[in-house]
Amino acid sequence: MKHNKYDLLLFIAVIIIATLGLIMIYSSSMVWAEYKFGDAFKYLKAQGIFLIIGIILMNFISKISYKHYLNKANVIILICFVLLILVLIPGIGTIRNGSRSWFGIGSLGIQPSEFAKLGLILFTAKYLSKNQKKIKNIKKGVIPIISMTILFFGIIMLQPDFGTGVILVMSIIGLLFIAGVKFSFFTKIGILGILGAIGLILAAPYRLQRIMTFINPWKDPLGSGFQTIQSLFAIGPGGLLGLGLGNSIQKHFYLPEPQTDFIYSIIIEELGFFGSVLISGLFIIIVIRGYMIAINAKDLFAKYLAFGITFQITFQALLNLMVVVGMVPVTGITLPFISYGGSSLLITMISVGVLLNISRYQEDRLR
Amino acid sequence: MFFKEIHIRMRIILLFSCLLFILVVFRVFYIQMFEYKKLNTLASALWSRNLPIEAKRGIIYDRNGIILADNITTTSLVLIPNQIKDKKKVSYELAKILGVTEEEMDRHINKKVSIERVHPEGRRLDYKTADKINALNFEGVYLVKESKRYYPYDDYLSHVIGFVGIDNQGLSGLELQYDKYLMGENGAIKYFSDAKGERLKMAEVYQQPQAGINVMLTIDHNIQTSIERELDNIVAKYNPDNALIIVMDPNNGEILGMSSRPNFSPNNYQQYTVEEINRNLPIWATYEPGSTFKIITLAAALQEKKVDLHKDTFYDKGSVQVENARIRCWKAGGHGHQTFLEVVENSCNPGFVELGQRVGKESLFSYIDKFGFGKKTGIDLNGEGTGIIFKIDRVGPVELATTSFGQGVSVTPIQQIVAVSAAINGGNLYQPYIVKRLLEPETNSIVEENSKTLVRQVIDENTSMQVRYALESVVSKGTGRPSYIDSYRVGGKTGTAQKVKDGVYMVGNYILSFIGFLPADDPQVVVYVAIDHPKGVVQYGGVVAAPIAKNVLNDCITTLKIEKREGGTEMEYNWMDKKYFDIPNVIGMNKEDAIKELKSFQIEWTGSGKIIIEQSPSGGERIQEGSKVRLLLGEN
Repeated sequence: MKHNKYDLLLFIAVIIIATLGLIMIYSSSMVWAEYKFGDAFKYLKAQGIFLIIGIILMNFISKISYKHYLNKANVIILICFVLLILVLIPGIGTIRNGSRSWFGIGSLGIQPSEFAKLGLILFTAKYLSKNQKKIKNIKKGVIPIISMTILFFGIIMLQPDFGTGVILVMSIIGLLFIAGVKFSFFTKIGILGILGAIGLILAAPYRLQRIMTFINPWKDPLGSGFQTIQSLFAIGPGGLLGLGLGNSIQKHFYLPEPQTDFIYSIIIEELGFFGSVLISGLFIIIVIRGYMIAINAKDLFAKYLAFGITFQITFQALLNLMVVVGMVPVTGITLPFISYGGSSLLITMISVGVLLNISRYQEDRLR
Repeated sequence: MFFKEIHIRMRIILLFSCLLFILVVFRVFYIQMFEYKKLNTLASALWSRNLPIEAKRGIIYDRNGIILADNITTTSLVLIPNQIKDKKKVSYELAKILGVTEEEMDRHINKKVSIERVHPEGRRLDYKTADKINALNFEGVYLVKESKRYYPYDDYLSHVIGFVGIDNQGLSGLELQYDKYLMGENGAIKYFSDAKGERLKMAEVYQQPQAGINVMLTIDHNIQTSIERELDNIVAKYNPDNALIIVMDPNNGEILGMSSRPNFSPNNYQQYTVEEINRNLPIWATYEPGSTFKIITLAAALQEKKVDLHKDTFYDKGSVQVENARIRCWKAGGHGHQTFLEVVENSCNPGFVELGQRVGKESLFSYIDKFGFGKKTGIDLNGEGTGIIFKIDRVGPVELATTSFGQGVSVTPIQQIVAVSAAINGGNLYQPYIVKRLLEPETNSIVEENSKTLVRQVIDENTSMQVRYALESVVSKGTGRPSYIDSYRVGGKTGTAQKVKDGVYMVGNYILSFIGFLPADDPQVVVYVAIDHPKGVVQYGGVVAAPIAKNVLNDCITTLKIEKREGGTEMEYNWMDKKYFDIPNVIGMNKEDAIKELKSFQIEWTGSGKIIIEQSPSGGERIQEGSKVRLLLGEN
């Protein structure tokens, strides 16, 4: 097997978008950080460390042949499962923003659910590539992996972390779609999803409110519509060129924790419409490279793995952007590469490392 | 091959993903293009804090542009608690400068508001205090300009103008009524703040305040001054319960002057009772008019051709019997045989009962209604009274008789002056008004203008002329003689009305009034004077109110530059009256001839010589008997 150079365009796009993210984390968080910790660089420093570790890890992972994961997939998913159980135990897992989803190490936190997202893709890619024949048979081929996914979703919902759960489920459904599962199955899944959503709404009525205020955020401007409105207040006045880097007004306590879920609105406020084109452009490059890597991959496991990783990043990015611009109800999902969050950045960089590694083993004719 | 299907499905998802990324960009574009205005306005409102700058209140002028209500600019202290860093120090320093306790200052500084005014200690600061605060240069401590209302003539015209409160809001009079126009639009210094109220380091926006609309009144400053002076004299001389004077232009309803006692100082309105402030007597007071009301009966009788003033006669034996009531004339023993002109001159009650009976109940009350009694005149002032007139179905012979000479009805002063104006101006009842025009503050161009409003024609010109003639006669020969002004043809009518308390006439307690106008051939000004219960004087309107009216009329002549008249009825002199004579021209005469010519006057000689070369006052002028004439002698 040939050892090619890895996909340079993907690498560069990721470095640019992550660096841009770091700058914007500083710009958007400095007021909040100064107020909360008396250190405007607080979030910049933390994220900077994670980014450096992330780049090192990405490079390191890109050199490890993906084929090793084929054997380790079961162990990895078992470790993820144990960690997800452990994090639910008070005393081990800590609560932040209402969810017990963290292993706290000082101010840095690790979210096992982030690792589970990659772990499950690994496991599913392996399963699908090994059971290619069974896929057309829903009962024998699909139900086991669906059960596995629902199990993980259920555990994550115990934290609860709806956003991560949805991304996890959607990645697996995406993989099943690629693997050739019949269309009729997805319509059934869709109906099931709607019923599930209704169930979730009945379990926690605040979710219905979120959906209602998505339709008209001005109905409850100080309650559930608050974030959407504050986000629009950043996007609207931004204009074509924005207020200039560092000049956001909304970050002055109007938009709470501006370095996390709603960082995209601060980017548009400061960098304007061009900022939004830049972010979308970089994501499109990353996504196209990811799919090309998947399409060009030689074996089925690599294809599924590359696709799963790319699809997950794409889905999460789109969901976040659409929340920020008010096209989708608020779900509490971060923007990959850009939003503040150590473990999220680490796992994304590791995922890209895996992608880069797969890109080394591409078929020549498709390059 | 199997890969092919996977690749197709991957490409579908890829395409779909890229489209969604582009859709997000379009959504951003849409928000910034089509919702920009709304979002920017709302966001600005959220981000910006305003330091208010008070607008200059509209100025109130008299008809000639003399300022009756002005503004003076002052400085006020404004605190933005969130921006104050060292609260203890700021509190200590400000408390020291303003002379308040530190606890009090702490309360202001720690208040959870975006903008705090230190009220009242921090309002309307003098320059020294403002300078001291400015020198401290504290963050979050601001001095803003405020304009304060100022009334240069103080209690002058106070009921009409009214006054404003501490926040420059109109609280009474025109200040309240025209508040919407006068107040203007406050400006602001806008700055951006974070969600915690801290000021952001961004440029401020200065929003200029818009000065209020200026109001020009129909009031003439000189006439108003005359009124105020006369009212002060009345109070000093007679200590009445209250007193009022109105001056109006009879040809259009413009109020030239209006005031009453008690009045108040709008600069210190807190020191007065609500009644003193709110009761604008010329339009609020209602009382029995007494004899001035006879003008209405006279006009009705003349219009209905029920009387010939010269030919018809009446014998007054001192009282008249109407059903069970015996109505007395004010003159014990009666006036005897009179023409109806003399009835008017003498204000003879039984004579007017006769006139009322000739006109008849239905007709007389219809005239009373048409002259505007029993309902508001519609003057552009708040607090007007309506008066009380008998309901027509409750009028019996006695009510008809008393109404004829002004008893048993209740009217307001403004109703009387408006009705009498109509009776003498050719018969046209005008709606009175006091706001002449509203002026734009920058250019002084007219925003709105009031003009004369004809309510209706009540009598015809011929009748009106006879009324004028009769009333001129009242002044030259009858009860109104103390208001006679030589060569200006004053017309008028006295009134002495007994006050009613709890349905019973009070003893020795009268409202003395006089309504006068000039010149009688073409009335240009009407004056109404009413004095409620003057002390220590004969209780006759002619004696007390007429001389006051004369003084005001004299000032009106000067102010309105009214020309002398010819052909007036000569005053009929009593032995104690001073006569007026034309001065003959004696220039060119010798001493002896001049003495003969000027026998009714005192002569003061200057110069030496035989021939008179200069004379003052000059020939043809009219002066009072016994006045001084200066003559300069010289050689020809």
